[in-house]
Amino acid sequence: MNVWITILAAGLGSYVLRMSMITSDRFRLPSQLEGAASLVAPSAFAALATTTLAGLALDSVQAAGLRNALPLAATLAVASLAVVRTSKPYLAVLTGMPTFWLVSALISR
Amino acid sequence: MNKDFVGGARAMLPWLAGVLPFGLVIGVSVSQTHLPAGAGWLTAPVLFGGSAQIAAIQLLNAGGAAVAVIVTTMVINLRLALYSAAMAQYWRGTPLWWRLLGGYLLVDPSFAVGIAKYSSDPDRRRGHAHYLGGGVVLWIGWLSAVAIGARAGASVPSGLHLEILVPLFLIGELLPKLRQAPTRWAMVASSGVALLCLTVPLHLGIAIGIVAGMAAGWFKVRPARPATRTRALRKLPRRPSIEDTVDHADANEKQEAHR
Repeated sequence: MNVWITILAAGLGSYVLRMSMITSDRFRLPSQLEGAASLVAPSAFAALATTTLAGLALDSVQAAGLRNALPLAATLAVASLAVVRTSKPYLAVLTGMPTFWLVSALISR
Repeated sequence: MNKDFVGGARAMLPWLAGVLPFGLVIGVSVSQTHLPAGAGWLTAPVLFGGSAQIAAIQLLNAGGAAVAVIVTTMVINLRLALYSAAMAQYWRGTPLWWRLLGGYLLVDPSFAVGIAKYSSDPDRRRGHAHYLGGGVVLWIGWLSAVAIGARAGASVPSGLHLEILVPLFLIGELLPKLRQAPTRWAMVASSGVALLCLTVPLHLGIAIGIVAGMAAGWFKVRPARPATRTRALRKLPRRPSIEDTVDHADANEKQEAHR
């Protein structure tokens, strides 16, 4: 399916969810789903982050061996440490990106 | 201009500080993909929800099938049905055009701003204006942030590897939440299952991972005393952050009640 049509179809699906309870009083979600709803965002973020990082790591290793995965590994380690120590989410980007650039520059010498 | 509309717009400002960086990151990620710039940006007005947009952009860029994109975004946006249920009681009897517009603007920050007014002021018309003010400001801010991010990201050299920006942003949001047991279970399960399903056809692995994460986390939440739908949805976040803050504040309170 065309990219544009896919986005429009996904948007239509989301809009239907938004309108689901507003337009009709008949349909109700099971109460058990209410608890699970609070877990959607962390589950989605975790799945997206893991698969994206796995893809990037595999691409790096396939392109130039294990050595090329070093910047990504160092970036993850530094960013994770910064966030865990401070509980400040934005530090993942602020420490991670410079680490990636620095280690990439060092190993490319 | 209606002072309740302005009040809603003003109440949205702290939320904007939290969500605009997210919009910028999404915009930059759009510029780093192979998608047409317009198509990537279109996710902002059409999906109007950060995590669903990121999922759609990443999946489309990876060549995911349409069904995978649609299923994943709908799983992520399932919580909107809960917000819809909470708003239904306040929007009963309103014209259809109002419900179509209000429903379109319904997302975590606009829900939080709107429900706060509806539950504190019995005058529904004032509540509608307040909700609309917040929703319109959020809509303009969000679309602008994504557009600015896409524009700025396109002019950045590829050597800067901005493709790691999104996973880093997500890691930053996730790690502090590892302290909450249900969230931790959800994250570990969804990551593990999504990794195991990397080779699943149509890129459905992410959707499967999300469902597995929700199931694992729900297993830990389940023993908590169930709250009624409206009570659960009325609980407001402690601090404005990205769109899932409402849900996490709710999960925290359920955990405390359980203890």
